[in-house]
This record gives sequence, C-alpha cells and structure tokens, in this order.
Amino acid sequence: MSVVNIARPVRYLCVAAVLAVASLWVAGAGTATPSGAAVTGGAPAPGTTPGATSGCTQTKESLRPMGALPAPGAMPRGSTMAAIAGRGRLIAGVDQGKYLVGYRNPMTGDLQGSDIDIVRQIAAAIFGDPNRVQFVVLDVADRVGAIERGQVDVVVNTFTVTCDRQQHVDFSTAYLAAAQRVLVPINSKVTEIEGLTGAQVCTSVGSTTEQVLRALPIGLHVVSLPGIPDCMVEFQRGRVAAVSSDDVILAGLAAQDPQTKVIGRPLAHALYAVGMKHDATDFVRFVNAVLERARSDGSLAHSDQRWLGVLDPVPQPAPARYRD
Amino acid sequence: MWARRYGFSLMSASVLPPSGAALNTVELLRRVVRTFPAGLTTPERLRRVAAVLVVGCVVTAVVSVLAGAARANAVRDSGTRIAALSADAAELYQSLADADATATRGYVSGGLEPTAVRAHYDEDIARAADRVVHAANGLPGGDPAAAQVSTIASQLQTYTGLMETARAYNREGRPLGQAYLSNASRLMSTSILPAVEQLRQGQKAALATAYQRGGTVPFAVLLLGIAVLGGVIDHAVLEQRRTNKILNTGLLAAGLALVAALLWWVVAVIVAGNHLDAARRHSDVAIALDDSRTAVLLARSNESLVLVARSGGESSDQSFTTQMHRVAGWGGDDGLLADAVHSVPASAPEIQSIRTALEKWWAAHRHVRELDDGGQYLQAVASVTGTDPTSSNAAFEHLDAVVHKAIVAERGTFTVEDSRAGSALTGLTVGPAVLTSLAAAAVIIGIGRRVGEYR
Repeated sequence: MSVVNIARPVRYLCVAAVLAVASLWVAGAGTATPSGAAVTGGAPAPGTTPGATSGCTQTKESLRPMGALPAPGAMPRGSTMAAIAGRGRLIAGVDQGKYLVGYRNPMTGDLQGSDIDIVRQIAAAIFGDPNRVQFVVLDVADRVGAIERGQVDVVVNTFTVTCDRQQHVDFSTAYLAAAQRVLVPINSKVTEIEGLTGAQVCTSVGSTTEQVLRALPIGLHVVSLPGIPDCMVEFQRGRVAAVSSDDVILAGLAAQDPQTKVIGRPLAHALYAVGMKHDATDFVRFVNAVLERARSDGSLAHSDQRWLGVLDPVPQPAPARYRD
Repeated sequence: MWARRYGFSLMSASVLPPSGAALNTVELLRRVVRTFPAGLTTPERLRRVAAVLVVGCVVTAVVSVLAGAARANAVRDSGTRIAALSADAAELYQSLADADATATRGYVSGGLEPTAVRAHYDEDIARAADRVVHAANGLPGGDPAAAQVSTIASQLQTYTGLMETARAYNREGRPLGQAYLSNASRLMSTSILPAVEQLRQGQKAALATAYQRGGTVPFAVLLLGIAVLGGVIDHAVLEQRRTNKILNTGLLAAGLALVAALLWWVVAVIVAGNHLDAARRHSDVAIALDDSRTAVLLARSNESLVLVARSGGESSDQSFTTQMHRVAGWGGDDGLLADAVHSVPASAPEIQSIRTALEKWWAAHRHVRELDDGGQYLQAVASVTGTDPTSSNAAFEHLDAVVHKAIVAERGTFTVEDSRAGSALTGLTVGPAVLTSLAAAAVIIGIGRRVGEYR
C-alpha cells in the first residue's frame, strides 16, 4: 500500500449520508402533525313524524261512573285505585312548561295550572290528600308511551282525545274544549293562517296540532320541536314566524310575552281528557266520577276561571258524554 | 488564506477540463467521480482526503445544529405552549360544564337563585372567558385549533345570553325561563363542549408528537458523526502504516473532538429522554384526571337535569352511571383512575383517595334517586342543592376538590420534569456543532502539515 486512499473516506460519508437522509425521512413520516378536524354537532334535528294515522276517524265516548265515589282511603279491593293507594302516591304524567295549564312556578318550584288541579282532584279522591302525587314530566310525543309502559297512572297534559290514541290508551270524559289557533308578533299584519304561506310555523312533535298544520294545503313550513316552550324560544329569537297550538296554551305564551297576539279562526277543535291504561275500566269510571263531581260542585269551572280567565271567552268545562 | 496555502480546492484544473458548450452537468459529475480518486501526486491526494473529511465535519455540524434546535424547540413547545393550551382546554371544559350544572342546580332549587350559586356560575363563566383568551393567545397563526377557539368564543356569548333571558323570566315567575335554560344547556352539551373537547384532543395529540420528536434517537447526527470519525481513524491508521510515522496529532485531536460531540448527543438524549418519559407519564395522569373530572361534572349535570325535567326512572339516570363507570371502571382493572395508576404507580394513594370520595358521592346519588323515584321529590332536590354533610352536593364538592388537587399536583410534576428535559438539551444546538467544527480545523492543520512535508 503506497498511495493515499481517497475513496475510503468518501465511501464512509456517502453511506452515512444516505442512511441519515433515510432516518430523517422515516422520522418525518412517523410524526405526521395532527390537524383539528372541522367542528360538527349542533342541535338534534327536529322530528318530522306527524304521527300514525290508522284510518280511523270516529272517537269513542268514555265510560259512565258506577254509582257514588268510594270514600278516600277505602278503594274497592283488587281495583286499580287500590293498587295506587297501596303504593302511597298517584303517578301523573304532566307538563311543566305550559303556563297556566301545567307549569312549574319558578319561585316556589311547585307545579300548578288547570291540568295540575285535575291531578290533585284525583289524588284527593283516592287518598283524601291532594298532595299524594309524584309528577313525571313528559314530552308531548311520549304521552301514549308513558301510559303503555306503566310509567304513569294518568296523563293530564292537554291530552286530546283521538281515535288513533284510543287504540293504545283509554280516556276519561273531556274536561276542557280547546281550539287550535296561531300566535304571531303583536305588530304582525297577518290575520289568518293563510297569511303565513311560505313562513316557518312551529308546534310540538307528535301533537294533533302538528297533523292539522301539515294537512293544510297552503305551503307552510312546519317546524316541530319537543315542546311548545321550545317553539316560543325560537319564536322570540326570530327563527320562526309563528307558533300554532291550542288557544289555552297560546294564552299562556301570550301572558308571558306581551309583544305577541293570538289570531285567526279555530283551525281544529280539541277535547282534553285524562289518559289512562287501556282496559282499566274501573279506573276510567272512577276518574269520570271525580270529573262529574268537579263539574257539579263548580270546582272545575272555578279552576278554569282561576287559570284561564285571561281568555275571552273563558273556556267552559266540556259536558260529559258516555258510550254506555 | 488557508485554502491557498495548503492548496485546498476540490475543483483543480486537472479535474475540470475546458468545458465545452455540449458538456452537461451529468457528464461533468461522471468525470469528477471517475478522476477524483485516481492518479495525482501524494500531496494532491492528501488534500483531497482532507477536503472530504472537512466536508463531512461541516455537514455533521450543520445537521447537528438543525437537529439540536428542532429537539430543543419541541421540548420547549411541549413544556410551555402545548401543555398550557391543553391545560386551558381542560379547564375550559370543566368551567363550562360546571357553569351549566350550577345554573341548572340554581333553577331546580326553586325560588330566587341563591347568591352563592349565582356567584359560582359567574366565576365559572369568567374563568372560561379567561381561558378562551389565553388559548387564543397561545395559538400560532393558521393553527387549525383557532377555528375551534373562535366557535367556542362566539357560542359562549349566545349561551350566556340565553341564560340571562332564562333568569329574567324566572324572576318574573314565568315558566318560559325553563325553556331558555334547557335551550342553553342543549347548546352547551351539543355544540360548545364538543368543540372544547376537540381542541383538547388536538393538543393532546400535538403534545404526544412533540414528545416523540424530543425523545427519538438522533440517527442522522449519529450516523454522520460516526462516519466522519471512521473516516478520520481509517485515514490516520492507513497513513501511519504507509509512512511508518507516529500518529498525526491533528487527526488525533479531530477524532477526540468528534467522540466528544457524539457523547454530548448521546448523554443529552438519554437524560432528556428519561425526563421526557417521566413528564409524559405525569401528563398522562393529568389527562386521565382531567377526563375524570369532566366525567363527574357531566354526571352531576345529569343528576340535576333529571330532577329539573322530573323525568325520573332508570333510563334517565343511565348517563350518570355511564360517566361514573368511565372513571371508576366496570369492576375490572379498567377506567380512567386505573389508567392513571398504570401511568404512574406512585400516584396510587392519591388515586385511592379519589376513589373513596367517588364511592361516597355515588352512594349519596343512589339515595337521591331512591328519594325521587319514591315520590320524595323535594327531599331529592334538597340533597342535590343542599349543604348538609350527607347531601349529594357536599359529597360532590369534596370529590371535585380532591380531583382538582391531584390534577394541580400532577401538572406541577409534569412541568418540573419537562423543564429538566429542557435543561438537558441546553447547549445541544451549539456545543456538538462547535466540537465538530474544531475537528474540521484539526483535520486541516493535521493533514496540512503532512502536505507541507512534501515541499
């Protein structure tokens, strides 16, 4: 070996350089920087199911009371009422957002309103104490389901008697007659629902009012939310042009916001009744007896006057009708 | 003037023929490769070897500067900016979830919102706003997380607006307030909190990436350094054999400088790696505890919401149970608390105290559900909103305090370990590069002397 070798150091460096570049490349591929994806989410899409229509149109009347009411605390042995009495409380499905009808008074935390008065009348008839009640707040769309599941004994929650619902639950006699109308801003020029063609009109999912609105052939954009108070929030934020529901419910909304008014002809008539389990005929007759007494002693009319006196005319207790 | 004196020039006249117009770069390169190691006199060849070794040293020095800077930046970034952002996101989430649960609780208690509850809500919102601003400041321009921060900021405005409307209606005794309350809660849980969570996950991933960068084996620098060192040793040994002279001192010095540079890298990376690993494990614990705190806040929110909605029953309590199992596990060795102990076994006593507080609250909550499902609604509300030591509220406050204390402790340890890792990397950017440059100078001097002997 007599010459200086140049190739060897060059070879060393070349191999190292290739490996170094390769290691950088591998490391670079391994540490790909994460990037924030777009934010998704938002409110759940409002339901659009207008409710099943089985084709039946004729509602059945309710069942006649059997004689006088049993004394509170002395329910007939083996009856539905005796089971409730044995539990120690009536479980009632109600609403807590319908001002004047069924609402939670934020100052006291108590539920009150014309529907709540009916619940307390039933509790008083069973226990002799109107406060032996457990209230369960139900979404409008869940009223039938809650009865079918046995979650509640009664539903007193602006529950309109319909033929479809009678396939699943039993109703008492009607205690109030209501009419579906429309709530708009006080400065609105609209006088009838036709003036809202192309506009967004809000109501509650699974209600009879939703079916009525969707059936109107005047090009309304019907928005349906879980409850009427949700509609009112959207209405006040200017996202819907009007709210449609029964007059007693709209009266409660108008009483909370003086910048609104109720307009138009009745779009539909509704009879509110107490919903109960299918085929619990003893309980249906019992509740009808309670309502009968409330009609005759004036307590039903008094309750309506107390809560719904803002309406003109004040809704009158519906007369009892029986099928037997 | 060294280059002239020692005749250093890669492109000497013998390599470069008079360039014709047709001679392209490829042809030129081929000629260089073919003629570079061949022929020539011994001094010429020595100069070329020196040139190759010097180029190797310089390249190693440059790569060392770049790699050192990238590593130090990654550690500094992880320790300060990303860790701060990730803590911001966690605190933001907790403040917002707590604000929402507090507002709900203020409502469920009925009557005027207690001033203490109102103050608690205001503090939560103020802290959240503060965290949003802090996070926005910590984001470099064009970071994808900026969009999430701006979503959070704008929706927080909407949220507080809805809440104030709810309060105004509540004061008037109108039930519409509750609709505003639940609307605001829905905005919080379906839109704001998911955006915060996304921000958090993004920072979590960025932190992991930074740790990876800070702790990997520096292959590029080591390979180049070892190659140059090998070249220097190889040449020195061959020259010694060829000339039967003593070892060239210049080459010896160059070799020592290169060894020192390599050792500097190895030691710094090992020490920093250990601290980074400790930091990462404590950060994992902090993240698991953050997740736990978030989960119990959501569980508590659910506890109040079930009472507000008066919806009762098994199904509505399901969300509570799910969140609690996420924290405590499903009976086996799982759950967030178990994860924390896996990351840092030393945290076991701390985690055990959390577990105890959690069990206590869970028991209090079961009692609340029994009361509510048994028709004793007001007693259930009293337990959730009251201050009695046996109440669900008191048990929760205790749990939250214990978890928060643990999170602060883990973050503290994390910061210490991270800054230790940073100290270990101090000088890594400059030190080895300077040593490698000295090696280059030593090569020039050493081989230059040999060349001089041929004059």
